Amino acid sequence: MSGSLSIAIDIGGTFTDVTLQDPRTGRAWRAKTPSIPSDPSQAFITGIGLALEAAGASPGAIGRILHGTTVATNLILEGKGARTALVTTAGFRHVLEIGRQDIPRRSNLYAWRKPARPVPPSRVLEVVERIASGGAVQIALDEDSVREAAAACRTLDVAAVAVCLLHSFANPVHEHRVVEMLRELLPGVVVTASVDVLPVAREYERTLATVLNAAVMPAVSSYVARLAQRAEAAGITAPLLLMQSNGGVAGVAAISRAPAVTALSGPAAGVIGARAVAAACGIVDFITVDVGGTSADICLIKDGTIGLTQNGRVGEWPLPLPMVDMVTVGAGGGSIARVEAGALGVGPASAGAVPGPACYGRGGIAPTVTDAHVVLGHLPPSLLGGTMQLDPAGAATAIADHVAAPLGLDLHTAARGILAIADNNMVGAIRVVSVERGHDPRSFALVPFGGAGPLHGCALAEILGITTVLIPPAPGVLCAEGLLAADLKAEWSRTLPTAGVVSADESSAILLALHAEATAWLEAEAVPSADRSTEEVALLRYAGQGGELAVPWGGSIEAAQAGFVAAHQAQYGFALKAAVELVTLRVEATGALPDAVMPSLSPGDLPEPVRTLPVHFAGGTVDTPLYERTALPASARLAGPAILLQLDATTLIPPGWHAEVHRSAAIILRRLGETT
Amino acid sequence: MSCDPVTLEIIRGAIRAAQAEMEALLERTAISAFIREKKDFYTALFDAEGVMAVGSNVPIFGDICGPVFEHFPIETIREGDLYWYSDCYGSRGAVSHSNDQVFLAPVFHDGRRCAFVMGWAHFSDVGGLRPGSISPDATDIFQEGIIIPPTRLIDAGRTNDAALAIFFRNSRQPDACRGDTAALMASVALGVCRMAEIAARFGPDTLEDALRQLLARTETLVRRRLRETFPVGTYRFTDSIDGDGHGSGPLHIRFALTRTPDDRFIFDASETDDQAAGPVNFIMNRDVPGMALGLYFLGGDSAEICNAGGPRSLDEVILREGSLLQPRFPAPLGMRGLTMMRVLAALNGLINAAGGAAPAAHSAYVITLLRGTAGGKPFLMSDGIGVGYGARPDADGIDAVYFVAQENYPVEFLEMGYPVQLTTYAIHRDSGGAGLWRGGCGIVRDYVILAEEAVLAVRIDGVTNPPWGAAGGLPAGSGRAVVNLGRPDERLLKPLSDGNRLRAGDTLRIQTGGGGGLGDPHARPAASVARDVADGFVSPEAALRDYGVALLPNGDVDEAATAIGRGVRQAA
Repeated sequence: MSGSLSIAIDIGGTFTDVTLQDPRTGRAWRAKTPSIPSDPSQAFITGIGLALEAAGASPGAIGRILHGTTVATNLILEGKGARTALVTTAGFRHVLEIGRQDIPRRSNLYAWRKPARPVPPSRVLEVVERIASGGAVQIALDEDSVREAAAACRTLDVAAVAVCLLHSFANPVHEHRVVEMLRELLPGVVVTASVDVLPVAREYERTLATVLNAAVMPAVSSYVARLAQRAEAAGITAPLLLMQSNGGVAGVAAISRAPAVTALSGPAAGVIGARAVAAACGIVDFITVDVGGTSADICLIKDGTIGLTQNGRVGEWPLPLPMVDMVTVGAGGGSIARVEAGALGVGPASAGAVPGPACYGRGGIAPTVTDAHVVLGHLPPSLLGGTMQLDPAGAATAIADHVAAPLGLDLHTAARGILAIADNNMVGAIRVVSVERGHDPRSFALVPFGGAGPLHGCALAEILGITTVLIPPAPGVLCAEGLLAADLKAEWSRTLPTAGVVSADESSAILLALHAEATAWLEAEAVPSADRSTEEVALLRYAGQGGELAVPWGGSIEAAQAGFVAAHQAQYGFALKAAVELVTLRVEATGALPDAVMPSLSPGDLPEPVRTLPVHFAGGTVDTPLYERTALPASARLAGPAILLQLDATTLIPPGWHAEVHRSAAIILRRLGETT
Repeated sequence: MSCDPVTLEIIRGAIRAAQAEMEALLERTAISAFIREKKDFYTALFDAEGVMAVGSNVPIFGDICGPVFEHFPIETIREGDLYWYSDCYGSRGAVSHSNDQVFLAPVFHDGRRCAFVMGWAHFSDVGGLRPGSISPDATDIFQEGIIIPPTRLIDAGRTNDAALAIFFRNSRQPDACRGDTAALMASVALGVCRMAEIAARFGPDTLEDALRQLLARTETLVRRRLRETFPVGTYRFTDSIDGDGHGSGPLHIRFALTRTPDDRFIFDASETDDQAAGPVNFIMNRDVPGMALGLYFLGGDSAEICNAGGPRSLDEVILREGSLLQPRFPAPLGMRGLTMMRVLAALNGLINAAGGAAPAAHSAYVITLLRGTAGGKPFLMSDGIGVGYGARPDADGIDAVYFVAQENYPVEFLEMGYPVQLTTYAIHRDSGGAGLWRGGCGIVRDYVILAEEAVLAVRIDGVTNPPWGAAGGLPAGSGRAVVNLGRPDERLLKPLSDGNRLRAGDTLRIQTGGGGGLGDPHARPAASVARDVADGFVSPEAALRDYGVALLPNGDVDEAATAIGRGVRQAA
């Protein structure tokens, strides 16, 4: 019998952060231990041990282990998945090579190179079979051709096989049989079917998702198994739940079947954490900006609802699995500034962790966004609670040599220019998630997080006309908050053979079947019935359109159609007098995990600043007080300029902003002169 | 007021973001598959005088705004106006076939005009001789659908609904036309709104200066690279298309570029052959050569912007009325795509003639139009098929792509929407020209016709004159269209033809051509050739014949035999 504590483990490149929480009291214990890239499970269990020790709790007190993993993400981004073969329908061996047959819109046709596919044609094997559009078997599966494919797989020495046959989403009988045969013929080789990963039309995207899934499967499976083993050996009987790209967690069995669903789990966890922080402050409409070293992830939350998309990408590749709808731009702390042909540009090239920004003193000489912050005094000369000293002279030299001198600017103007351009890149992406979807960003709060987010929050807000900025209590480790706040989530869809209208009988039959699948999953995840909820969603479009809008089903086709017309008008600015077609019905299931009680800071007065340093704002240099963030009590107020220091992030409050500490330990910043 | 380098970069980024938003809206809301699946649409942004400041990476755009100003003097243009046209002759080739609809709107800030925004898309049917409006059979432009002269569609906020009603009534697909028009108008309105925000944020003076600088930057860069590439003198290149499908051909494209001792650049296309009876005439807007050369010289730097700075770097463009590239009204234009693509190849040839390092030639993308009835209902399937692009001095040519931004119809999408089934969609082996760098390969697409009856139009070029190789590279392989391959009733279709009748159960194979190779094929590493064989791009026979590479039965390089194969040819 396991206990009631939740423990969240976030394994980063440098540190593994562990948060142990008692949901009944909201009390939390944090631990930090160096990551061990060769065996992440070691830091995982060490961190758990440290947190238990800090809390004085036993392994048996843990009720659930929550974990976000970047194993799949990194394998995909670095192209380092298992050696994989693809089995496809005869005649379509070059499905990946051809792709969508395009030179990308933003590319130059004289210079563009097609990226190498995750599986070359020499590892694509054809089987004789054909399912027609609509699902009828037209050519029966030739099992000899499957045996030949298996033999070829052996010769090719692959560790994983992806199976994606044409129209399998309409009738998976051949795909299932091929998978069954290959599993039998190729012991020890991981085999995955496209219908288990992404049962939707369009063969290139489905094949790609299946191939990526296969390629990450061996590593993710053994990783997850090792974690489970370590936990068991340590006497923890609680279930291991992993974060998915859709912002929900799922158990080991579901993740092992389709590990590609974890590809964007890191950013998703951050957004879930931001929602929990915002909710505690009563904020439901907000835009998150997660600024890391090389990129920024941006997401819009309206009415507390996190949008999902099936048009996501991971690196080069489209990956149309349900994922939190966010936009990524190549602007982060490590983004490099350069001058070419008299023009200043920032990113997407990044100095990364090694050599890192010039101010890290690890051999980096290129000026970065972080260097600009150092030069302007936004970042004090020591980071991470004094564990890391910065080199302001190095930062100044990098910017002077590579930006200020070539442009004929003074050092501070050059540094402000670098920040302005990085901010602008993020603002462009914020507009994409907001205005493009019919939202006015000015009616939203901004929630910046990630190590560098709180340095940029107010500047971004000023450009966007946003007047409220919410800084989470621990902006640098918000993923852990997200893990603790996440619910179990999964979804089941049925795409109609022909888009159009459905009779009430048809729709209830489909929904009944989807609900049955959802119930089976909720049972398997052992969710008590009081914590279960499901939602019926319809995906519709005007006859002829290529993309659908998701709206609540509302109990009837008429209700869904009305919802669609309203949503189309709201999002795109017009409605048509045209037929509205139902494309897909979906049931989304949630298993609620206990919400933690929010801790509450005691109110008090503003303490004295720890010190004062000159900061170079556009309006002039101002001696600016620096405060220890964790020393600030609830209701403390202060006016910018000010800088807040904490272990995981630094917050810049420019002149014109004032701050109030919320009892949840979040900080709410408002533009002076705005009503509160 | 001058715009500093930082603000310039910010404005550039904001305009790019606005473009991305406009394109996303169009893609999500358009009705016809041509726009939302194939993605045949573009956007651009112009300065207050209508000069293109931020275009797309498609080098086929001419002077878009000029034709509107001729009918509606720029000082009469008001806030809330929207202009529209598809008039190829009336716009001197700013659009070059009547399917392409241009919507253009001014952007104002405090009553001052500061920019124009364009949305452009190919409408799948605008009337004319055959469904799809473009047909190899056309002999004048009136057979290619309704022509919209520059029109003030919205006059300070009031829409001319009658003009739209006439347009929709002339289409075989009025619903798609109506939906696509609504999507394009919404997209342009969004662009206007976004540009007005940019003008308000930075001030119209700063915006004006930013756009001026973006133009100057491109012009300076292109002019510098022109000077580096072309020593003083005259350089010539001649290329040809196979014919017009009406009996004449080959038709030659003859380009000359002169750099005068006082550094003027004069582009002359006047020696090009006369216009054709068939619809392969291409009204080459005089901005196009500079736009294409500009895009080539800008290269892969994403910070650079394709705009009117390219055309401005040429001092003079000489065209000859009555030629293939400047036809007289009302010559047909619908199949101008194949000429346009060969014009781009000929420009590469011109650069190479001066010792430059442009790619070898590519094939013109292939299009098929299949119309007929299925289940008693008419259908129109316009299927664009990718080709191979030319090898480059530092890379192989691109395999199996159509053009910038345009995508395919996925097999599953096609089969769900049209009465055909595909049996092959693969790389066309050996269609890439051999070379140190291999030309890109084309595609094989096999269809089974399920419709009771259908009529096929096909457009394939480069059959009699395949895309050339460069610097010792071999030319590319050609495309073809065959009905009922391997059956007693097998027949080869004319590569540029319409009226090909197909019945249920017929098979159709379309093979598309590749790109030329670059450099000596024997210098290509044998391991690269072996990989191409394993991946299905090169046959073992061609590996030996063209590259001198012999392979063992397991696919590895037979080193000894390869040494002999390569030695023999060098000795010969």
